[in-house]
Amino acid sequence: MTDNPLPRPLALLAEVTYRCPLQCPYCSNPLELNKYRDELDTETWTRVFNEAADLGVVQLHLSGGEPLVRRDILDLVRAAAGAGLYSNMSTGATVVDGKRLEELREAGLDHFQVSVLDTLPESNDRLAGTPSFDKKREAVLGAKRLGFPVTLNVVLHRQNLDRIGEVMALAQEWRVDRLELAHTQYTGWAFKNRAALMPTREQLDRAHAEVERVRAAGTDGLDIQHVLPDYYFERYPKACLQGWGMVSMSVAPDGYVLPCQTAREIPGLEFPNVRDHSLEEIWERAPIFQRFRGTDWMPEPCRSCDRREIDFGGCRCQAFLMTGDVTATDPICELSPHHHLVAEALKEAQQGDPPLVYRVMPRDAGAA
Amino acid sequence: MAQPITTPVLAPGTRYRWDKVRSQHQLVFPEGMIVLNEPGRAIVQLCDGRTTDELIAALKEQFPGAEPDDDVHEFLGHLAQRGLVREGAPRD
Ligand SMILES: C[S@@+](CC[C@H](N)C(=O)[O-])C[C@H]1O[C@@H](n2cnc3c(N)ncnc32)[C@H](O)[C@@H]1O
Ligand code: SF4
Ligand code: SF4
Repeated sequence: MTDNPLPRPLALLAEVTYRCPLQCPYCSNPLELNKYRDELDTETWTRVFNEAADLGVVQLHLSGGEPLVRRDILDLVRAAAGAGLYSNMSTGATVVDGKRLEELREAGLDHFQVSVLDTLPESNDRLAGTPSFDKKREAVLGAKRLGFPVTLNVVLHRQNLDRIGEVMALAQEWRVDRLELAHTQYTGWAFKNRAALMPTREQLDRAHAEVERVRAAGTDGLDIQHVLPDYYFERYPKACLQGWGMVSMSVAPDGYVLPCQTAREIPGLEFPNVRDHSLEEIWERAPIFQRFRGTDWMPEPCRSCDRREIDFGGCRCQAFLMTGDVTATDPICELSPHHHLVAEALKEAQQGDPPLVYRVMPRDAGAA
Repeated sequence: MAQPITTPVLAPGTRYRWDKVRSQHQLVFPEGMIVLNEPGRAIVQLCDGRTTDELIAALKEQFPGAEPDDDVHEFLGHLAQRGLVREGAPRD
């Protein structure tokens, strides 16, 4: 593996801002949001998109935070199209009207991914911390009217999982093209709220059966993506990122470049910035990209394991958050000496509902 | 079994792209891409509202001597199964 030539990245996640009108408790964004207020300007993002295309990136994901709060969002979409990138926008879709949708279409946005928190408006609004269901609905219907390809993304957890049938019905009613049933990944705010979000095994079994039932009945063109969470269903971890520094990279609002958007929370790692280096230099030479690339960094049991080039030892962020050691084998793995931590986390699901901690970003510190 | 497509069009969000870095024809869609060979590129670029028969005729002009009928049906069927190509003819 380490002898092979370095592959070129296929995807770039551009987190253009962490500002957001919603407060989702499952948000994967970092906790200390105020640290990321020094946002890159239009010119720098444009350079980054061009460098990404030259480096071989095919797909650009404009995300955040809420990308649509950037005043220059149309310029950013134009810059992506100008660089020849396939552009997707992941959005909460609460700050967009018909006119803006049309402008985005004209600017060359290829795909729109909208998140909804629940099928019941009251529950969506309670989880988001802000009335938002009606706006999301309007945005999805408006985008479909314009012929935008739309993916609906619903993050699943204990508090909405029992309505997975209604979620699929909603996606069909709104005539979206794809539905992403995304089980919560426990990083950022979600890790903080894990005890309130972790579903029970019984809930997951019912949800899985419901998805299979709907699929078998036919979905009339709706593509349903559903991957069961690794906590309950896997003996081995997933191939996080398809390998660290192998396929994708992520640029934070303030220009720091990460192999994965949550890696910033791991203390002791140093990240390069696009203000100081080109993306190519960073991809090829930055120590952080080399750090967990390939298999040389691995401790036992991964080092001598047959699966080391299949799952690459799992997720570095999950390993760190659960064990405190970023080089540890992902505890999801049944061979991990920390595997008992998974069972302990699952017990949290049985212990009643602690209050949700909402994602907050102090407002005073002046936004761009 | 699905009906053969009579008027193939690319699904919303799916588009052809020339990758200048890798010198590759690609069909890109929201969650990924596939690499196309030369005939694949030609077929994908002809999914523009014309019928499958017209597409095959145009392909024969581009690749004189080829008998692509079966390959075209198979390729379009494969793309349709992956949700990348749809029936563009109005349903009645
Ligand atoms: C961080 S959000 C940013 C874009 C926009 N604010 C939104 O929420 O749609 C990017 C995508 O990740 C999803 N997401 C957020 N937190 C997640 C988590 N802990 N696990 C899995 N998906 C998550 C969101 O639903 C959204 O589709
Ligand atoms: S997940 Fe929710 S809080 Fe986080 S960025 Fe998206 S909309 Fe905002
Ligand atoms: S020991 Fe490491 S490489 Fe082997 S399955 Fe577990 S995480 Fe993967």
